[in-house]
Amino acid sequence: MTTRRGLHVVEPGLLTTVQDLGREGWASFGVPAAGALDEEALRLANRLVGNAEGSAALEITLIGPVVRAAGDLDLAVVGGSFGPAPGRVLRLEDGEVVSLAAAPGTARAIVAIGGGIDVALILGSRSTCLSGRFGGFEGRRLQAGDFLAVFPASASPLEEARVDLPQPGEGGVVLRAFAGPDEAEFDAGARAVFWGTTWKILPQSNRMGLRLGGPSLGHVETASRATEGTTRGTVQVTAHGHPIVLLAERPVTGGYPKIAVVAAVDLGLLTRTPPGSGVRFERISPTEARSLLAAREARLRALIGART
Amino acid sequence: MKEAGEFAWLLAFEGDEAHANEAARGAAASIRRSGLPGLVDIVPAARTVLVVGSPELDPARLAAFEAAPLHAAPVVSLRTHEIPMTPDGEDLDKIASLAGLSPHAFVEIFVQLTFTVGFLGFSPGFAYLYGLPEAFHLPRRGTPRVAVPAGSVALAGPYVGIYPASTPGGWNLLGRTAHRLFDLRADPPSLFAPGDRVRFRL
Repeated sequence: MTTRRGLHVVEPGLLTTVQDLGREGWASFGVPAAGALDEEALRLANRLVGNAEGSAALEITLIGPVVRAAGDLDLAVVGGSFGPAPGRVLRLEDGEVVSLAAAPGTARAIVAIGGGIDVALILGSRSTCLSGRFGGFEGRRLQAGDFLAVFPASASPLEEARVDLPQPGEGGVVLRAFAGPDEAEFDAGARAVFWGTTWKILPQSNRMGLRLGGPSLGHVETASRATEGTTRGTVQVTAHGHPIVLLAERPVTGGYPKIAVVAAVDLGLLTRTPPGSGVRFERISPTEARSLLAAREARLRALIGART
Repeated sequence: MKEAGEFAWLLAFEGDEAHANEAARGAAASIRRSGLPGLVDIVPAARTVLVVGSPELDPARLAAFEAAPLHAAPVVSLRTHEIPMTPDGEDLDKIASLAGLSPHAFVEIFVQLTFTVGFLGFSPGFAYLYGLPEAFHLPRRGTPRVAVPAGSVALAGPYVGIYPASTPGGWNLLGRTAHRLFDLRADPPSLFAPGDRVRFRL
């Protein structure tokens, strides 16, 4: 008898979705990019189990899922600390059940499965677009009883390897960021508050954006602002003066002024940081942000190799 | 031109919004046709174009499109969409009375108008349509509705929009259409593209 290899969802966890590197090139039709919030974790988790770096995997949030293997499977949890073997290959035998419970102080992780999750490619990606209710597994978060089929594994897992990504500390995180396109609309006082405050990640955060609690940056005129394209990592400020860091599933356009942009190299760390933690911004230049990204790409290339 | 990310730039255009948007659409089309290496996404909006690239993209080459958005041939869309509409929106009476008209008279005028797709955003397939006379410009509702029905034709500020799917929304509801605006099996998935003309009929 042949049964399809894959993963049964025994308990879904808080917010578990299928994600890959997202769908780029569709923003002018109003389609959000979606994709893993922590790209670095996705690429490394896939590498551990022998997949191409952009294969579809699970993104798990705050309360991890309980899953049961159908067939022998290799899993890798990378990002936050969930389950018995974060950062390493976890071999599951047919029928084995594993709880990917979160360690304290961790928010999100990627669970890659050898072969990659077999869901339909939609507009070039297997990512779940929650707001549009399409992509991933039936366009929604996973529920108990779902079954995720996986493709046949194409390469051997890296059984000896271990991946450790930066984790939030007790006092929270410091994120490097550069001036946003609308910085000039904020007066010196508001800018000093933005760069000087230890903000707190609010529980109302989601895959569109992380809301930051703290002092108001003052009333911001938004009624007459022109709507324009948004980028990942942009810190926009609401009419009441509260910052929001835009993430992978942000709407493609927005009308709030943008005070800063979080360096792409630090976005993964931010998404590993749970609600209630502190966030402080350290100012760098866009040129420095590009250098940091180039250095990280070189490191990832060395780890991942030429496989894509 | 402003930096919006490590490899993302916003090009801005001057003038009243309709003209700035036309320039933004022209620049977006010119950039798309240019075949510059490293282009990932080009997003025209009200007064700007966001260009997202890879490290290959040379920002110096983008600046030229901000200075002369239509340096290639002007973009003229020949597509006109006729959208059937039932004028039974919850806010129709309010919209008409703010315009000093009866609901019937307002709808009679509305269906004579031709709109232009300025840009898409907010949700998949949601188009911002220009061409609403200033007398019909209304602020959005103070409190957004939790769920606007799919197909709702709605007004806010200078724009007309149609909600492709049921989402939260703060626009004033004029009517609804059964016309499909976003279909994942279609290529492209959105019925509307920037520059298209749109008319409503009863």
